[in-house]
Amino acid sequence: MTEITFTFNGTGIAASGGESLAAALTAAGRREFRVTAGGKPRGMFCGIGVCQDCLVTVDGTPNRRACMTGAVDGMAVETQPAFPGLCLDAEVPDIPRARILTPDVLVIGGGAGGLSATIAARRAGAEVVTLDERTVPGGQYYKQSADGSLLDAQQAEGAALLADARACGAEVIGGVEIWGAFDGPLILAESGGSALIVRPRAVIVATGAYERPIIAPGWTLPGVMTTGAAQTLWRSYRTLPGRRIVVCGSGPLNLQVALELAEGGAEIALVAEAAPSPFLHPLRGARCSIHGPALAWKGLAMLCGLRWRRVPVRNGLRLAAVEQSAGGLSATFRRMDGGTCTVRADAVCMNAGFEPQNEILRLLGVRMTYDPAVGHLRCDRSETLETSVSGIFAVGDCAGLGGAPAACAEGRIAGCAAAERSGHAEGRDVAADRRALRRHRRFQNALWQLHDVSPTPLDSLPGDTILCRCEEVTVADALAGYAVTPGHLGTLKRATRIGMGHCQGRYCGPAAARLIAEHTGEALTDRSFFAPRVPVKPVTINAILSFEEALRGDE
Amino acid sequence: MTSDLLVIGGGVVGLIAARELARAGARVTLVDAAQNAGSTTNAGSLHVQMQSRFIRLYPEHARNAERALPCYRQAAECWDRLEAGLGPIHLVRKGGLMLAESAGQMAFLEEKSRREEAKGLDVALLDRAELDRVAPWIGSQIVGAELCRDEGSLNPLLANRLLTKACADLGVISIIDRIDELTVTSDHVSARGLHGRYRAGEAVVAAAWGSGALVRAFGVDIPTAPEPLHMNITEACEQRIDHLVQHAERSLTLKQFGTGQIVIGGGWPADDHGTDAVPGVRADSLVGNVALAARLAPAIGTLRILRTWAGMNTTADGSSIIGRLPGAERIIMAVPGDAGYTLAPLVAQMAACIVLDRDPPADPAPFSPARFAA
Ligand SMILES: Cc1cc2nc3c(=O)[nH]c(=O)nc-3n(C[C@H](O)[C@H](O)[C@H](O)COP(=O)(O)OP(=O)(O)OC[C@H]3O[C@@H](n4cnc5c(N)ncnc54)[C@H](O)[C@@H]3O)c2cc1C
Ligand code: FES
Repeated sequence: MTEITFTFNGTGIAASGGESLAAALTAAGRREFRVTAGGKPRGMFCGIGVCQDCLVTVDGTPNRRACMTGAVDGMAVETQPAFPGLCLDAEVPDIPRARILTPDVLVIGGGAGGLSATIAARRAGAEVVTLDERTVPGGQYYKQSADGSLLDAQQAEGAALLADARACGAEVIGGVEIWGAFDGPLILAESGGSALIVRPRAVIVATGAYERPIIAPGWTLPGVMTTGAAQTLWRSYRTLPGRRIVVCGSGPLNLQVALELAEGGAEIALVAEAAPSPFLHPLRGARCSIHGPALAWKGLAMLCGLRWRRVPVRNGLRLAAVEQSAGGLSATFRRMDGGTCTVRADAVCMNAGFEPQNEILRLLGVRMTYDPAVGHLRCDRSETLETSVSGIFAVGDCAGLGGAPAACAEGRIAGCAAAERSGHAEGRDVAADRRALRRHRRFQNALWQLHDVSPTPLDSLPGDTILCRCEEVTVADALAGYAVTPGHLGTLKRATRIGMGHCQGRYCGPAAARLIAEHTGEALTDRSFFAPRVPVKPVTINAILSFEEALRGDE
Repeated sequence: MTSDLLVIGGGVVGLIAARELARAGARVTLVDAAQNAGSTTNAGSLHVQMQSRFIRLYPEHARNAERALPCYRQAAECWDRLEAGLGPIHLVRKGGLMLAESAGQMAFLEEKSRREEAKGLDVALLDRAELDRVAPWIGSQIVGAELCRDEGSLNPLLANRLLTKACADLGVISIIDRIDELTVTSDHVSARGLHGRYRAGEAVVAAAWGSGALVRAFGVDIPTAPEPLHMNITEACEQRIDHLVQHAERSLTLKQFGTGQIVIGGGWPADDHGTDAVPGVRADSLVGNVALAARLAPAIGTLRILRTWAGMNTTADGSSIIGRLPGAERIIMAVPGDAGYTLAPLVAQMAACIVLDRDPPADPAPFSPARFAA
């Protein structure tokens, strides 16, 4: 691996080629990347390009996500101010030619579901293009190492899947930011400043999920991050988020990542699981092992591994607040009996479930139904995983939480069906995949009974708790805004600026939708959430020039 | 529900009218469908000079718009007073620039500025050197501009919020409902909504694109065709762009809000999904509108577009519709013409004065709905 150097605010930082800026900076002990309009420091939070709190200025260009930008030798990286400067003598840049693609099947997202769909559709004879936001596809479950090394069986399985997808003749393109989805379907994406315009016959959306945070005082402090962000640091870049770490929230990911980080040499000060101990509900545990003996065994092995490493795993603890203290963070937890305990650490990792990345599906007008069991929208789908819009398929977590094995089975089913849609009917038998899918779904249902991802009601939080990270809108602001203009989420957004920032409402949106539902007593539906809008992710103005030329020629 | 006055439509005109009427002591009910309000989706430009977009798209209405020019200037001044009464709405009036990229466009601006000066507008022509001093961010191809010193911008979200609060504080009752029928008797107006019935002595119709349908039954055919329009907003950057920026020939408005964000619009079309659904954003509008901004202001090229949306506008026949409805005098129209957010305080105050039988701030005769009576 090549050793390189870049500067951060003038100081040299060593990194290895392929490493993200966020990983290299974290390894160097730097975690404050940008400053908000309110003067507060922020750093990496989600680690997967969603929260936009890791923005830095790179070689004079502002608003680059440190977690998605690779370190390059000689780069000048700077803390991003709230109001970056404009280059007044800038000229219109040379406009790169757009690439126009018209595959039979477009797969959006190269994770477990997307890669499986790619292979199935291609093997059925369809011409397939697969796009993924990360430079190295693989998704959240198979998270690949930047340097190609393999940490364990999970990464090896992902590497094999990716190699299969490439070998079967599909075009798999990494480092692509999809920002537009329009009827047609017409998909607009950007790759390194040039335009990618895709007019496929069928689309398989496999955009996965992002993590539901714990909204509590201090959740915006640098050093507080999602569990997945810590996992990306470790699995992709072999960097630890800190020396002493607290992991909290609910769900199996927290256990797995705590164990991985401990094996990587971190001291795990505490794993706090919100749900009561599974030993209080032996039946629920038993149900898990019936529906998924292998996965239940894996879970048990994780717990044993943690115990063997003397990592304290405590049930019934909810994060109450994180504070900055001399030399680190201190996280306070509330026990079920009302008592509290405080733990010091230099990184606090949180995961309280998942939110589907369903923006593209919603933009395309796909019908969704709210699932109260997991607290998010699920996409209505047929047996073949086609959505309510003909030719648009959805697989994996973007359609509603299901886990990686289910995503793989769904990908294979939808891949065949989408190929058939576009005239390639070498129909493979998917009966075995259907059976596997049913099994995985039963396991998931049983699994989430052991956890508790119910969010803390916003009303019970201190008023100065930040609700909207980007616009720094507090819980009190939101409640006051709601009192002046009750109604729906759109009204609250316009009254308070909630959801108007960089992350486009991905974290505050679901929480605010729940707040309104609690107040109105109405059930949540698709319309309770922010209306879907392009761009799906912020898109650079200069990059749009290349789309204009191509779309104009198109007409 | 019974009150002295019913205001139909809770956009900026309805809110200001309700506030004026309540301040005069009336019991006011404000009914709004909370759907596709231009006020919640607009760009907050305070337009005073004639918009080139309008002249090009609606040449048959350009004369109406030209005649109304003094009103735009007066309306912009109304906003100054409103801000003083309401609190900060990020109102800036540092002028508006209309950029020219060729000698032909410059000649068009010369002719335009002459006609505007005759109507009392504070305008001037700037050459490239003068432009460089006030707008150092422009592209190298720009040859000059017309400056209209009366123009500016405000943040409509702040204004809407403060107006809503002011109405609530004055006891205005706000109800979310869609009115689908109006009837008038000898002593009251009655409105039927999807959720209830409302009765009042008089009704102010401030329902923008929905206004025409509400009064058609009275034999007055007011053309309030909905015109769905596209908008874009960027991330924040340092405060650099002081003016409301337009183009002499093409559809563009560009300005920087107090939040540091740059708002790009100018009337690019969106897809009409009916009045019950929000209009759909079109790829060609987004890309065309933003690319045009990138060429005129290359300095913003490294910023990212954060959000786009589309909202419902109506330009009527280019001119506002203010006054009692012929044949149904208990109904008072309050529908602004083109650039309705700018005109709102003037239109609303004129309508309120007509209701309260006070002297309106400007002569309402040219705006009477009588011009549409059969
Ligand atoms: C942060 C995180 C960590 C996890 N870690 C584990 C774990 O360690 N163990 C475990 O059992 N489960 C884990 N899970 C759950 C597991 O990852 C999922 O159940 C499974 O991966 C679902 O597969 P998928 O194909 O639906 O989505 P994913 O695997 O998430 O893949 C989606 C892919 O699409 C890409 N993408 C998304 N949007 C766009 C776009 N607009 N344009 C282009 N590309 C896009 C993403 O970059 C990603 O590569 C984790 C989930 C998350 C969110
Ligand atoms: S940490 Fe980079 S976008 Fe969230």
